[in-house]
Amino acid sequence: MNIRLRESEPKRILIVNRGEIASRVAKACRELGHTAVGIFTDNEMNAAHLEFCDEWIHMKGSTNAETYLNVEGLLKIIKDNNIDGVHPGYGFLSENGAFAKTLEKEGVAFIGPHAEAIRVMGDKATSKALARDAGVPVVPGTAEAVPTVEKALEVAQEIGYPVLLKAVAGGGGRGMRACLNDEEVKAQFEAVGREAVSAFGNGDLLVEKLIVNPHHIEVQIMADKNGNVFHFYERECSIQRRHQKIVEEAPSPFIGEDEELRKRICDTAVKLAKAVNYDSAGTVEFIMGEDKNFYFLEMNTRIQVEHPITEEITGADLIICMIQSAFGEDLQIPSQEWIKKTGHAIECRICAEDPITMLPAPGKVTGFETNFPQGVRFDHCLYRGLDVTPDFDPMVGKLVAKGLVRDVAIRKMRAALDGLYIEGLKNNIPLHKVIMDEEEFREGSYTTDYIKKVAPQERINTDVDFGSVYKKLAAAEARNMGM
Amino acid sequence: MRSYLIDSEQNEYIVDLRKTIKHSSELVEFEFSTIEDNKVVDSKNVFIRKLAGNYYCSFDNKAWRKLARQHVPKKLLNVDRVFDLYRGYKPSGLSSGASGDLLTQMPGKIVKINVKEGDTVEAGDCVLILEAMKMENEIKTSIGGTVKTIHVSEGDALDSGVLMMEIE
Repeated sequence: MNIRLRESEPKRILIVNRGEIASRVAKACRELGHTAVGIFTDNEMNAAHLEFCDEWIHMKGSTNAETYLNVEGLLKIIKDNNIDGVHPGYGFLSENGAFAKTLEKEGVAFIGPHAEAIRVMGDKATSKALARDAGVPVVPGTAEAVPTVEKALEVAQEIGYPVLLKAVAGGGGRGMRACLNDEEVKAQFEAVGREAVSAFGNGDLLVEKLIVNPHHIEVQIMADKNGNVFHFYERECSIQRRHQKIVEEAPSPFIGEDEELRKRICDTAVKLAKAVNYDSAGTVEFIMGEDKNFYFLEMNTRIQVEHPITEEITGADLIICMIQSAFGEDLQIPSQEWIKKTGHAIECRICAEDPITMLPAPGKVTGFETNFPQGVRFDHCLYRGLDVTPDFDPMVGKLVAKGLVRDVAIRKMRAALDGLYIEGLKNNIPLHKVIMDEEEFREGSYTTDYIKKVAPQERINTDVDFGSVYKKLAAAEARNMGM
Repeated sequence: MRSYLIDSEQNEYIVDLRKTIKHSSELVEFEFSTIEDNKVVDSKNVFIRKLAGNYYCSFDNKAWRKLARQHVPKKLLNVDRVFDLYRGYKPSGLSSGASGDLLTQMPGKIVKINVKEGDTVEAGDCVLILEAMKMENEIKTSIGGTVKTIHVSEGDALDSGVLMMEIE
């Protein structure tokens, strides 16, 4: 294939994404000597993600359909700009098998897995069937979409409540609802289906058993085109709201010192990746019950939001590995034994949302400043004047802190949160502060219902802080005085 | 100068800047107090110093913390509340709508309207669904009554603070 012939040449890489991940990919391109080509749309004229891109392309339009999801328009850009490879980031086209296939046909590298892996893993029913065949344990439930609410009720009664209604094409926690009884299934069936249609263009739903007191544990996989599959240990992402992660850590405090269990779950993930001839970065998600039995949930065939914590504990650069793999190059990893983990890393997702209700709160950043302790990583797209619009996901940054032991990582994160100032935009920093101080989190014994059960959001002090109001007014006055 | 901080629920705080002392071109001291019912309920001095292009602030001129530099803010954030800031004047005509008026709390798109004009609803009923940031939010009525007017239709993209529906 002509891609391999140009193996050692600098490539031109189009980044079809925005925000912090676009910057992250551009940095990797720079390091490898490739040219990073970034996109910006009509309402992103000041896009901060272009800062690290070498070339900028304006894509007309403001809706996702006109821009980041516009395959026709992107193909034209790819042709006009002699693009060799496309990195989709996460979200948008990252798990769109048809797009990956189109690029394959055009002789352009899709920086992600091959189209067939995306197709198989993108469908919950087929991925579950494949896992079952590969000897990977799966959660009891329907293997195929349930067509009607009556059928859903029948299945739910058979496997027993509580059950989960899930969109076949869903991901990232969208299109998923827990139901405790018949009434809830009846009430939610239509809504989940509608959400699935609007978000993924496919309204098919699955019904499966809900694991009680579960931990969400996922294994980072990286593979190349020569059949080498490596794991980069696990992450625990049990702190979630609306089934979306807000705090992640690596390694999992629930697995803790149980190296035998750690090896078993990581090897299981590698086995599954090998079963689909996986050839890029991916994440195998498991649900682990109180009894430490784990079941395969899904495989995300893309780089994930929380990949930095894995990079922090292993020292690997996963984006660089993805780019190397896509062009058929060596990952520069001699063997699995070379991938060691040290210490503990925590990530807090900084989102433009109300810290108590956790509902999205679009707005404008009127001030932004950082004053971090040593060694903190902040992947973000913030700047003074940034407009966070309701068109996109509310996440604006990822704060990552590392320590040799977990307690040190927590202490560093707490100090980092104190040194992160975002003005004008409601954000969840107050929530993260409470979580870092909260006992169950500090013990590391939390489960996926942490937000519901422990309710750290209810401990946030909302009294008006006059001191802080004076500070802000004083700063404005000082500025007015020409200081 | 007097400042008025008013949030979306019409809670109001009055903050007075009583005194400004310019110690040097890099250090200024301000005396602020908060007024409630014509009484001073809180008062503090704030020092602002510029260092290497950044603003630092202190309450005692000893311990300093960095500040996020802002243009004169029109909004002030306090954990879960965003206050509109009016410097030097109090805006008139700010009245909270009747409790049967449904206003958008965030920008979003109407996905579904569950009622029609003339329908009878009960408090807590989900009357419409608003999609914002890829999430569906059920908008519930806080009072029971009759749907008087619906100002929006399915598919509408709305700003924050838009009147969607009136219930009597």
